[in-house]
Amino acid sequence: MRRLYQGMLHLYPAAYREEFGEEMQWVFLQAQAECRIAPLLRRATFSAQEVFGLLSGAAHAHLRSIFGGDDWLRHRRFNMRPQYRFPRSTVFLMWVILAGVVLAIQKARDIAMSTPHEVMVAWKSLPLFLLLFPALACAAVVAVWGLLFALRRTGLHRLDGVQSWPEQK
Amino acid sequence: METFALSEPVLLVLLSLAEQPRHGYSMLKDIEAMSGGRVLLSTGTLYGALQRLLDQGWIERIEEDEAPRDRRTYRLTSRGRRNLQMEIDRMRHLTKLAGLRIARKEA
Repeated sequence: MRRLYQGMLHLYPAAYREEFGEEMQWVFLQAQAECRIAPLLRRATFSAQEVFGLLSGAAHAHLRSIFGGDDWLRHRRFNMRPQYRFPRSTVFLMWVILAGVVLAIQKARDIAMSTPHEVMVAWKSLPLFLLLFPALACAAVVAVWGLLFALRRTGLHRLDGVQSWPEQK
Repeated sequence: METFALSEPVLLVLLSLAEQPRHGYSMLKDIEAMSGGRVLLSTGTLYGALQRLLDQGWIERIEEDEAPRDRRTYRLTSRGRRNLQMEIDRMRHLTKLAGLRIARKEA
């Protein structure tokens, strides 16, 4: 188990290992020595906990080193804060999108029922559609973002008021 | 001001250090005792929490020249103590509110 632990420490980023590696090993050895006289089930639980703890700890350490902190963790929990609330218009836009999707499904069903042989023709144009659709989707996203930016709903304008360094006296 | 709720391991680490400075193994044993054996932190979880708390300035290492590298001691900073107190106040308020709501429902 000791060898496995030492090996698994290499899953952590090098800087983390340099900072905490020796300490973690020492704490692990103390806990393992204490656990040695425990019943088999307790020892198995201890080993499983340590392996899982190292795996999840290494994953977190890598994500922290990539994202530079725990902000991504806070957003992952969806703790809604007043500053992150969506504008009220979002509800309206979501209803419009939902209505569009439902109508498109209904229309597709009608076409498939009325002209089944033409559906086969449509399959032939599928590759072209798959190429065009992402391009059109990107264009739509850029257009919507541009519209929101023009309406000053992205929040970027608030950065104008942020002072990032103290004023020189 | 920190606005997020603390996870249980982080809260227990802070409570453990609130009493006195400790090294990693001492924290594990204290947390086990505090929770009546319910919470058994792995070293990966403990050091993940310690790293976050060090980065946020809630705890700090006690620099001792003679101390070996594998037995470094940690203590709460004044910021960590303030935030722990705020979290305890938040939980106290929540518990009081829950008690009132349940009592009203039962009445």
